[in-house]
Amino acid sequence: MNPILTFLVVLIGFYGLSTSDNIIKSVFSVTIIESGVILLFLNLGNFQGGSIPILSEDLVSIVDPLPQALMITTIVIGSTVTALSLMLCIKIFHHYGSVKWKEVLARKDVKS
Amino acid sequence: MLEYFQDLTLIEYTAYFLQFLLIFMAIAIVSHENNGTIVILIASFSLVTASLYVINHAPDVAIAEIAINSAIIPLIYVISISRQREFIVLDKAMDDFIISGNEFTGIGYVLLKRFSDFYHLELNITNDPMLCSLGEGRDQILCEQTNVDLIITKDSETGEYILKGKASSLLMNKLEQMTKDYKDIRVVQFKDRDFGE
Amino acid sequence: MNNSIRFLRQFVLIALLGTIFVAFTMSMNELQTLYNDFGQQYFFEEGLSDTGSRNLVTAILLDYRLFDSLFEAGILLIAVSGVIWISKHDIEEKNARFMIDKYKTPDLFITFSRLVYPLMLTFGFYVIVNGHLSPGGGFQGGTIVATAILILYYIDPNKETNIGLIVTVEKIIYLLIIVVASISLVTRGTFFTNFFDPSHDADTMAIYLVILNVLIGFKVALGLWTIFTAFLKEGR
Repeated sequence: MNPILTFLVVLIGFYGLSTSDNIIKSVFSVTIIESGVILLFLNLGNFQGGSIPILSEDLVSIVDPLPQALMITTIVIGSTVTALSLMLCIKIFHHYGSVKWKEVLARKDVKS
Repeated sequence: MLEYFQDLTLIEYTAYFLQFLLIFMAIAIVSHENNGTIVILIASFSLVTASLYVINHAPDVAIAEIAINSAIIPLIYVISISRQREFIVLDKAMDDFIISGNEFTGIGYVLLKRFSDFYHLELNITNDPMLCSLGEGRDQILCEQTNVDLIITKDSETGEYILKGKASSLLMNKLEQMTKDYKDIRVVQFKDRDFGE
Repeated sequence: MNNSIRFLRQFVLIALLGTIFVAFTMSMNELQTLYNDFGQQYFFEEGLSDTGSRNLVTAILLDYRLFDSLFEAGILLIAVSGVIWISKHDIEEKNARFMIDKYKTPDLFITFSRLVYPLMLTFGFYVIVNGHLSPGGGFQGGTIVATAILILYYIDPNKETNIGLIVTVEKIIYLLIIVVASISLVTRGTFFTNFFDPSHDADTMAIYLVILNVLIGFKVALGLWTIFTAFLKEGR
């Protein structure tokens, strides 16, 4: 039941990405998708009897530590991609003067 | 299904509650329109997901998620949202078109104020001496590279005011429409390269 | 006409997403056939004696999969360069005085930030150095240190930073990381692993982990500081 509820968050992020008319809202939706996917991976690796993957005395079994290491990398890369895309958004606003996708695309078609 | 929900431990209750909260917050983020509200929702969204990470036995990922998505990313979002509301004007004419005395009266100021209120932008006027001392030919480079949207100069022979801006900007068309009735204001648009060429 | 096309588009979109959701739900029932725990068993038994760290996630990030971490640090460097290049301009005298720049933070915030700043810095260094014994590590501690440095911008928005110097130091630290990771070619014969043998005890092997964590932490902190500075000074 847990992975199903998490996948719903990912699908809501996709819906927001497809129907957003503001440029910055698309970047928000990508952040939601990324957080949902990371939560999905951690949910699939978790089981009920395990414990945190830090070794100490009298430990019976641990949760798999490999997905967690990959997800740390994913978080850092996702944040840098967000920063880069926001810089591009600022440049688009200063060039075209509007924050809506439709007007910017219409302006671009008229010019070329 | 209801008896499934009755014999769970406390941690599993908390996990289900937090996941439903997450779904509601995602719907709220997608359907809001005010960008400032969404930034605060993003910060609290990341806090809720960090709690879920700890419940799923992953404390390393939780520390990374909180430090990045709840402390640094909202700062960058706030900066980029506030840049999208500005309209920067460089005033080279230096006479009472905009300012007389120390007050903001003058035809130019009223016109620009009406124009920026129509688009819900914030007007920001500067007359920095360092930027004004650059010559006439570098106006286009000034518009392209810094954030200046409009340059006001005064033509010394005919006595009319020239407003210069970028041709690719949508705001210039509206400005041209608004200044058609005024005889001594003229709008000149730079034809610049397209974004990405 | 326009309204009904929009409604049809949204309906098709929701139907498509619903199909994906139903397919995912049906595939969740067969998850148990994929699951195996070979990796988990191996990490549980051999993790401490191979790498010398109790935190198994740090052991994976810095010993078993050091190649991934090197490229992640490289991506940070590329993103920093991209952000600086997009926001660059050649006009001299970049910090023009604006008439209506009204940034003046309240005095309460300034006093509180002065109190909090050394605590955050200390906590960040603690998380970096103790990466192999408790949850933490280079990446996590590096972002905490970057957040602590950003408080200084909050106090004084007209702070002058020399971006060129920071990026140069960041590149030198990245080269140092690659050098430290390649020392193991000399002592053990393989690239990108611990330069002590597994025959030493765990405390000796942890020296390598602490060195690498500190270098990665500094690199991440400097990179995020540069990105934030480029945003703040863009076009002004």
